[in-house]
Amino acid sequence: MKGYMRYFGKKLIWFIITFIAAFLLNFILPRLMPGDPVAAIVARLAQGQSNASGVQAIYEQYTELFGTNEPMYTQFLLYVKNVFQGDFGFSFSQYPRSVADVLRSSIWWTVILQFPAIIIGWILGNSLGALAAYRKGWYDRLILPVSIFASALPAFGMATILLVIFGVTLKWLPTSGGYDVSMIPKLNWAYIWSVVVHYQLPFWSIVLIAIGGQAIGMRSMSIYELHADYVKYSRFLGVKDNKIVRYVFRNAMLPQITGLALALGTMVGGALIAEIVFSYPGLGTILYNGIMGQDYPLISATTLIITIMVLIATFAIEILYGFIDPRIKAAQSD
Amino acid sequence: MKRLYIVVSLVMVLGLVLAACQTATPETIIETVEVPVVQTQVVEKEKVVVQTQVVAPTEAPVAAGESLPRNETLYFNGQQWGPVKCWNPYSSNCNNALGLAAQDNSRVPMFETPYLYNMMDGKQYPLLADGDFTWNDAHTEITFKIKPAAHWSDGTPVTADDFAYTWASYIKYNTNAGNNYKDYIETVEAVDPQTVVIKAKLNEEGKAVNPLQVGHYLSGAYVIQKAWTETLEARTGGDATAFLTDVAEDVVYSGPYHKFFADETKVIFVRDDNYWGQDASMWGKLPVPKYLAHQIFKDNAAGSVALAQGEVDVSQQFNSNVQVLWENYNLPVSTYLPEPPYGIGASLPTAYYNLTSNGLDQVAIRKAIALAVDYDTIIANAMTNQSATFDQVPRSLMNPTPGEQAMYDHDAVADLQWAGNDIEGANKMLDDAGVLDTNGDGNREWNGQELHYVATCPNGWSDWQAAIEVVAAAGEKIGIDIVTNFPEWAVYQTVVTKSDAPLPEGYDIFMMWTDGAGPTQPWGRIRHLLSSEFVGQEINWNGNWGQYSNPDVDALIQAIPGETDEAKLKEMYTELVRIYLTEVPSFTLMYRPQSFHTVNESVWTGFPHQDDGTEPPVPPLDLTDGWSIAGLYNLQLVNP
Repeated sequence: MKGYMRYFGKKLIWFIITFIAAFLLNFILPRLMPGDPVAAIVARLAQGQSNASGVQAIYEQYTELFGTNEPMYTQFLLYVKNVFQGDFGFSFSQYPRSVADVLRSSIWWTVILQFPAIIIGWILGNSLGALAAYRKGWYDRLILPVSIFASALPAFGMATILLVIFGVTLKWLPTSGGYDVSMIPKLNWAYIWSVVVHYQLPFWSIVLIAIGGQAIGMRSMSIYELHADYVKYSRFLGVKDNKIVRYVFRNAMLPQITGLALALGTMVGGALIAEIVFSYPGLGTILYNGIMGQDYPLISATTLIITIMVLIATFAIEILYGFIDPRIKAAQSD
Repeated sequence: MKRLYIVVSLVMVLGLVLAACQTATPETIIETVEVPVVQTQVVEKEKVVVQTQVVAPTEAPVAAGESLPRNETLYFNGQQWGPVKCWNPYSSNCNNALGLAAQDNSRVPMFETPYLYNMMDGKQYPLLADGDFTWNDAHTEITFKIKPAAHWSDGTPVTADDFAYTWASYIKYNTNAGNNYKDYIETVEAVDPQTVVIKAKLNEEGKAVNPLQVGHYLSGAYVIQKAWTETLEARTGGDATAFLTDVAEDVVYSGPYHKFFADETKVIFVRDDNYWGQDASMWGKLPVPKYLAHQIFKDNAAGSVALAQGEVDVSQQFNSNVQVLWENYNLPVSTYLPEPPYGIGASLPTAYYNLTSNGLDQVAIRKAIALAVDYDTIIANAMTNQSATFDQVPRSLMNPTPGEQAMYDHDAVADLQWAGNDIEGANKMLDDAGVLDTNGDGNREWNGQELHYVATCPNGWSDWQAAIEVVAAAGEKIGIDIVTNFPEWAVYQTVVTKSDAPLPEGYDIFMMWTDGAGPTQPWGRIRHLLSSEFVGQEINWNGNWGQYSNPDVDALIQAIPGETDEAKLKEMYTELVRIYLTEVPSFTLMYRPQSFHTVNESVWTGFPHQDDGTEPPVPPLDLTDGWSIAGLYNLQLVNP
């Protein structure tokens, strides 16, 4: 156990170093992009302005307000101070809204769409992959090509196909929005039903692609494990098939768990394509527009959340691996 | 069995490859599905456009958890991209497209201007104002009366004090409107509660600096209630930033609609059944739809699908190949005109030359490139024919509206106008000017250097990119190497709007917009295209981005606003067109409408269409902008 604590401590130190580096990069990288974010805001305001000095005045007003006229280290110190007080400042692209307000209003749509989609995609994909590897025959012949097709289809293509078939042609499901456009939201059955119905197309457009990718990965890993020496040896020893299968899939699952953790860690980045095709609310398009509009505070805040989530997820996986894969614990404890 | 498996796999892989080759979008799907063509244009159906149905105030608005009744709601797209941030008419940052857009054709469902501009006849019609405005003899002051019936949403009358206080606040808090007009307007004063005087800023000769801009204020700036402004000032303690960023949920307004609901997915306005405009002195009735709703679509494709599905009634976005919706699908969708260009062009997306690039200081090279460009292809591809061609509306500095077209002498410049794709003429022009291919590599040289240019526009602006590609293709045909480059907008705008230094490499030919239709046009557009006053500006969002300079042009631009003799004005405009088409510092690539305007008549009918019998004609501006709001009073239900 002492060795394990040392392993844990070492990991923690590395994660803190990684966090500091990522925090610095989150601040610096967006600011290295060519272009001037304040000019973008002025562009929005100056349309129809005929007065030249007026435009200049607006520009100066905003550079001062956002502090983009200050040297970068001053901006950084201010940023650090504010972030530790939980203040990410104003969003440039959505001024006068604060970054916190922007994130608060969109993040739930993203989490509710992404989290179940990732989990269900992962479970179904891995189950199908394992089935294809274990049962072979027609299962494999059907699951493999379908999985390749689904995973290789661009997200935009999958979303559009679902939109055209179930939204436009069959008219079974609505084509856009998070809930009925005519509805004034209130937590009642009609509203929940509307949200559920609008949820289907964006959800399945993510899940179907995820299933394909996971199934292919799981199938390959399972086939590899099924032919491993320990499986053959177990069979010679007369170990029951059920038990062998349990070992096989536990081993095959390991890289898939890492993939799941990373997917969950980055989910806040949003399902950009699904959001665009189905005009679904969420952080994906907001972050995309923020990047395009050089909205430093919004980019930094979102990437900071993603950084923290990925670090937590990978840290959790490291710890979890110690339990689910005794080889790792054994190696680290030595 | 193995063979069957291989066949199935191959089919799937083929499907995969095809899918990867071309990602289907709703647009392309709509475009490529061939349905037996039924040539129906819904507009041609005979219908009564102007009707006299008076809308009775209806019961209370729907409650939370309920749905808006479809037959009381008019749905929009293309105006609101992203959630509404505030309701503050002093702010320019509210991203509140349906509520706040003071401009050439100000959007007036919630806040109002004294006059409404009508781009169809170029006139300003009274809204809050009572009758026409008058200039004094010296042409330095405008006076107008306020309609006695006009009142705010809290029931108090709209007074001249409100106008005066609005102007004072615009200046005090350095608002967009204040910045926009402060060089032209000295004060706005209340003579008595019903009478407003706008005094122009005077130049050294005692004349108004720019009477056109003073007139523009009448339909280009909202009036805001004095009492509410004082409340806002008290709340924000005189802090200008707080004043301009206040969310203003409590704002008092004078228009027929106000906030009902807004979130990340949509914004809904509800009619104020006590709206003053139902008085006989204005509309004599309430606007027909009880609700105006705008879903927030994330891109044009999603908006187009909703329009086709009948979920959107009025579409203000670019719907690619819009005619397919009625020609191929027989949907009750229509545009202002039944045939191309489908709408009324108002602005002139333009290719600017960097006049300091090698050779682009030569008129012959500039004009040769402009002559060689195939504009019909640009209009067919980039605009899917939603622009008039240069055969239909020959190029000048004017937009295709009848009012502007009448402002120059067409015959006087006819020999200077070109419709494009004139490769022979372009080659001859270059040869005559001595711009030759001396080393035989197929490319012409100037000053001993190969003529090589980069044509550019922002990445992702697909119609502009298509246009720029056609410009580049023209170069190849006349021995000038033109390649394209599409930087991100964030970079592009920073480079192009920096006019205090020559444009950098990579910006030899680049695209920007021009003014549309408005009370100062075509003067404002010409100024923004050609005036040298913008050269040298550190941040130039006005125009003349190619940094052209011509004292004769500057003098004409300076003189036009003070000129009242129409014959003289026509002469001056004709001279400007002559210089523009001779010197070619930039050239128009297409005509673009002020607003795209497509309607789906599944639920509502009576939308503005050409020759719909309205007088004055209701312009195709989505029933929200300037005089087009008159269209809201003419709507009828398809199934009452």
